Amino acid sequence: MKLAQTVLLGLLTGGVYALLASGLTLVFGVMRIINVAQGALLILAALFTFEIWRRTGLDPLLAIVVTTPLMFGIGWLLYRGLLARVRAAPEAMTVLLTFALAIAIEGFMGLIWRNVFRSVTPSYFASSFHVGGLFLPKGLAAGCVTAVVVLGLLYLALTRTWTGRAIRAAAENVQGAQLVGVSVVDVAAVTFAIGIATTGAGGSILSILQPFFPASHYVWISKLLGIIVLGGMGSLPGAVIGALLLGVAENVTSAYVSPRWSLVVFYVVIMVVLLVRPQGIAGSRLREDVAA
Amino acid sequence: MSREAVTSGVLELRGVVAGYGGGDVLQGVDLEVEPGSITCIVGPNGAGKSTVLRTVSGLLPPRKGTITLDGKTIGGLDPAGVLQHGIVQVPQHGGLFPSLSVRENVLMGAWLLRRDRSLVRRRYQQVVETLPVLAEWADRKAGNLSGGQRRLVEFARSLMVEPTVVLLDEPSLGLDPASLRQVYDLVKLLNQQGVTLLLVEQNVRVGLGAATWAVVMESGRVRLAGPPREVLDNPEIADLYLGGTITHTGRV
Amino acid sequence: MTPAGAAVAERAGGRSGVPRWLRPAVITAGVLVLVLAPLGFTENTYIQTVLILTLLLVVSSSGWNIISGFAGYVSLGQGAFIGVGAYTVGILSRHTDVSPFVLAPLGGVAAAALAAVLGLVAMRARGHAFVIITIAFLFLMQTLALNLQSITGGSAGITLPLPTWSRDIGELPFYYAMLALAVLSVALAAWIRRSKLGAGLLAIREDEGKATAIGIRTPAYKLIGFVVSAVLIGIAGGIDGYFLTFIDPRGMFDILISVQIVLAALLGGRGTIWGPVLGAFLLQPLSEVVNNYFGTRLGIRLLVFGGLLALVVMLMPAGIIPTIRTAVRRWRERGSVVPFIEQPVRRAKPAAAAPPEEPAVPALAVRVSDREPVAERPPLLEIQGLSKRFGGLTALDGCSFSVREGTITGLIGPNGSGKTTVFNLVTGIVPGAGGQVRFDSRRIDQLRPWERPALGIGRTFQITRLFKQLTVLENVVAPLSHFSLRHLASGGTSGAEAARARELLDLVGLGAFGDRTAGTLSFGQQKLVELAQVLMLEPKLIMLDEPAGGVNPSLIEHLADLIRQLNRDGISFLVVEHNMPLVLQLCDPVVVLAAGRCIAQGPPQAIQRDPEVLGAYLGGDGSATQGLPEGSGAPQGGAPVGRGGPGNPRGVPR
Repeated sequence: MKLAQTVLLGLLTGGVYALLASGLTLVFGVMRIINVAQGALLILAALFTFEIWRRTGLDPLLAIVVTTPLMFGIGWLLYRGLLARVRAAPEAMTVLLTFALAIAIEGFMGLIWRNVFRSVTPSYFASSFHVGGLFLPKGLAAGCVTAVVVLGLLYLALTRTWTGRAIRAAAENVQGAQLVGVSVVDVAAVTFAIGIATTGAGGSILSILQPFFPASHYVWISKLLGIIVLGGMGSLPGAVIGALLLGVAENVTSAYVSPRWSLVVFYVVIMVVLLVRPQGIAGSRLREDVAA
Repeated sequence: MSREAVTSGVLELRGVVAGYGGGDVLQGVDLEVEPGSITCIVGPNGAGKSTVLRTVSGLLPPRKGTITLDGKTIGGLDPAGVLQHGIVQVPQHGGLFPSLSVRENVLMGAWLLRRDRSLVRRRYQQVVETLPVLAEWADRKAGNLSGGQRRLVEFARSLMVEPTVVLLDEPSLGLDPASLRQVYDLVKLLNQQGVTLLLVEQNVRVGLGAATWAVVMESGRVRLAGPPREVLDNPEIADLYLGGTITHTGRV
Repeated sequence: MTPAGAAVAERAGGRSGVPRWLRPAVITAGVLVLVLAPLGFTENTYIQTVLILTLLLVVSSSGWNIISGFAGYVSLGQGAFIGVGAYTVGILSRHTDVSPFVLAPLGGVAAAALAAVLGLVAMRARGHAFVIITIAFLFLMQTLALNLQSITGGSAGITLPLPTWSRDIGELPFYYAMLALAVLSVALAAWIRRSKLGAGLLAIREDEGKATAIGIRTPAYKLIGFVVSAVLIGIAGGIDGYFLTFIDPRGMFDILISVQIVLAALLGGRGTIWGPVLGAFLLQPLSEVVNNYFGTRLGIRLLVFGGLLALVVMLMPAGIIPTIRTAVRRWRERGSVVPFIEQPVRRAKPAAAAPPEEPAVPALAVRVSDREPVAERPPLLEIQGLSKRFGGLTALDGCSFSVREGTITGLIGPNGSGKTTVFNLVTGIVPGAGGQVRFDSRRIDQLRPWERPALGIGRTFQITRLFKQLTVLENVVAPLSHFSLRHLASGGTSGAEAARARELLDLVGLGAFGDRTAGTLSFGQQKLVELAQVLMLEPKLIMLDEPAGGVNPSLIEHLADLIRQLNRDGISFLVVEHNMPLVLQLCDPVVVLAAGRCIAQGPPQAIQRDPEVLGAYLGGDGSATQGLPEGSGAPQGGAPVGRGGPGNPRGVPR
């Protein structure tokens, strides 16, 4: 019974993780950039949600309608202002840049919101559904459902719109995309903005799941990196699979070993997967990642 | 086929110099492509044949010289700009998007027209009429097609903008005879509708067999041009591929 | 180097016109200042502390520079080794009375061991994957320190023994220990830079694939580099722990430390010796200023460091020292005539390796020789049944031919016939899928790529792959003849190897260009440098991939002469070329590939007239025999060329 409960919680958490990781893997797939600042932006969105909830009482899951476009705009500006300048730089330098961004954002958040743990606690936050002997925390369940809905919208956007097609096309074949007239620079900007927009929704959901403070972003980026590495960097289905698997693994470790060791699962996954099978479960083999 | 036979003006290259990185692959290319023709460029490796196409389609800006269509300058434009003039390139390999379906791939050909949904739909219908097998493949992922099938899809995609000039880079490369025949049938069909085709071909006999005008390039310049039969019968062609140059520079 | 050459080199800004004694004098003066300075500040422990932290940053940054600056593998986890060193000393000092100063070297040992383990596994990843692994490693270390409470004390940390000396001495012992380590770090970095190990690491940064092609055993180099980069940091960490007296996981494995290490090296100049020093001396005081002015509110520090790192990456990724150097060089070279454009390269006076007489006879004389006829010479390189597919494309399909000793064998064929793939399989850059390669009667297709150059196979690339940021001389010296620790430690651009390299540069006609940066040479000149590079390892067979491609005609003549001369000295050649006139006058025999297999082999004139070869080039609908189109001349008389089935190389009757 405990196992079933643990696995269930893991799957629900994994559903949320899938949304959080989707933006990161999307950006990588199209632009070959690992945005280490994704975690910091998640916390930023969570803080925005907190502010909205504190001042207006608006339910955090509904606040997504506000945070998503807001983060989209921030993502757009970040790309145009910073990342567009280093397009020609080697990969490692771009990672450093996004890392610098993460730290700067953490500093900014610390100054404005101070280093205090916060949590958004709507009325349903602490209670659970009882289904067949298992407990489903309402917050987690609502969060997971929301995440799935947003992921679904993202999927539709990518497959049913012209922009989505252009994004997928540019991810696979830049020259082919150019030859049909796609502006690869514009596609990169939009993709990055969409990737950051997912942190809007993700951050809002996150705000009700766990207490957070500015330095939490290290925890989150570790988890997200583990997920996309396992699932295959650049693959959305891979991100979902990786998220579910690691959500369960994290919960099982937490329940059966100790919560303090649950993060280690992610670190180990990162190292082992990148060395043994760098393309992960569903990704395509990237020649630059593996040394001769 | 209901399609207005709009032909292009003359596509002209004058003194074009271009290259990648250090050297210059094209060393002063003079070329005229008559509207309504099937012009085929042949020549040994390193001659610069594919590079000529890339300078026309905008993937590579020329360092010197001019490229004009009907008098309007197109040299130096980016691919989107060149597309606006009705010139489309079907690249040598890898022009498709493997994880998109065939239909999506073909639709992407109309990227610049995407705001007019009904136009795009109409064009897609027309293209499927021209190449009916597309309807069969519509939902397959492009990555699952064979080389010959992919070449056909790429070709079909280029028709979405109703081009007046189609640039084909080595259409026969890696193709089995049946697919080869299909590709060249499509070439002839399009030409009958007034489309100008500029091909680069490895396979001299097939290329010149379909062409109405032959151009032979070597070492970055045009060496011979004329009706295909004459060029093919010219003994210098054997020399070119396996011997000296037309104007000998080396000690042979 | 000719006097003219030396003048050119100086004008081009190779060795600056600064007097030779100036540099060591400045360095000695600087060290003296550092040694004596704190004696003036004995009461002011604050300044001593700042200096200690600065020197710690110097040590860490210099160490980082070895793996991330020289080899180009950017690590964001180097700070973890400080923590490792500190915890080693902390844990040990709980169990013994030995002074932590004595225990500190064990911190270095622990760091080295950990680096070795991490290195063995992390080296397979490159680029951003490597950065992520180092981040994960840092976090993992922190978590271990937090969780293994019985050993590390968990979040409560460890308290080290207090200093045993009197208050009057203050922090001086720490200071001098750290100073010694800093001097050692910089000296180590400088020594490595000049050694063959350093040259190899730089080569790896510039072009790792090319490095393996010239014999550099890349995994071993990277591992050594990583371990060396961690050792001194570990020792410094041990001293740091003693200095702080109290260590805990948050403080010791704070990622901000790693950020500062990276920032110091980047700011000062990644890959330079003094860059990390400059960066450290800029950054630590800045950190102090920020702390004092804004208090210890964490947010400001993060903003400052994050912002600074972002600015450096975006605006000045090379760092201060290289940027200044480039600016100075450009200013010096303004207006001076620098031969960037292809110039006819004058042959320097024949070096010792060149035979005294110039061949005045026409090219044909090369073939009419008193050596054994081609067919009777032993095969040096044998390709048997090689096959290779890339995705759906078959590049090679049972390809077989051989290169006989002492010949200049041409390899021709239409586009896509598999010529470059043959090269890649022989050198091992690409793994094969069937068939055998034998060199000198020994099977080589199972060997790793860096093991093959030592056997006597050299290879140039169609698009030259030189280490563009290194000098021409450094490029030529880079190939590694044998791997041993002693050899790695030996000087890179001095000594017998360097002398030989200069000889080879003279041989190819580039004697004046030794100190020029390789990336500034013209395409044709780069090809000559690549040839000199290949000659360093005394090859028996040199494989040239389109040597004449993109090169102007005068240089092609020079190349052809060079090849003939080297051939007379006993080197065999396999030349892929599209330039037919060159092939015809240079090569005998000529091998023809089409559709992934060998379809003909024989003397050039026979190949030239062979209808099947012509058919392969001109194409058709696939029928085996295609004569030339009617109207052109029928195949001329001459040596009959045997016809074999597909895949069988035809014989060469003479």
